[in-house]
Amino acid sequence: MDQLNYKEQQEFQKIVEQKQMNDFMRLYTNLVDRCFNDCVNDFTSDKLTSREETCLSRCAEKFLKHSERVGSQFQEQNQKLMDQMRGSK
Amino acid sequence: MSFFGLGGAAPQVSTEQKLKGAEAELDMITTMFNQLVDSCHRKCFDKNYSEGSLTKNESLCVDRCVSKYFDANVQVGNSMQSVGQSGTLGRGLK
Repeated sequence: MDQLNYKEQQEFQKIVEQKQMNDFMRLYTNLVDRCFNDCVNDFTSDKLTSREETCLSRCAEKFLKHSERVGSQFQEQNQKLMDQMRGSK
Repeated sequence: MSFFGLGGAAPQVSTEQKLKGAEAELDMITTMFNQLVDSCHRKCFDKNYSEGSLTKNESLCVDRCVSKYFDANVQVGNSMQSVGQSGTLGRGLK
C-alpha cells in the first residue's frame, strides 16, 4: 500500500467508517440467521419458547465472543507473518 | 512529471488510485477475516449451545484454526504463484 498523505488518510478514514457500518449490518443479519437456524425449529406456536430464547441468547453470545477471539488471534498471526517477512529480507 | 528531461522521477500515483488501492487491500483483508470467522465457527462449534462463553476446547480449537488458516493462506498463495509462472493461470484458455 502506497503511503497515504494526511489529506488522503482523512478521506480514507471516511471510507473505512462506511465499511465498518456495512460490516456491522452484515454481522447482525448473519447472526440472526445463524442463531435462528440453529435454535428455532418448533412451530407449534408463533411465540419463541423459553428454550429457544435461551438458545438464541447463548448462540449470539458465543458467536460474538468467538468473533472477538478470532480478531485478536488474527492480529497476532498477522504480526507474526509480517515479522517473518521482514526477517527474511 | 519531469519537464527538464532529468528523468529519475517515479510516475505520480494519483490520489484516486492510491485510495482505490488502499480500499482494495482493506476489502481483501475484511473478506479474509469474515471467511475465517465463519470457517472456524463451522469447524469448532456444535449447534447445541450449552452456555454463552467459549469452552476451553472451543477456544483452543479457534486459536489453532486461525493459525492453520494463515499457513494455508500462504501455501495456497505460493501454489498460485508457481502455477502462474507455468502459464496455466489463464484457466485453460490455451
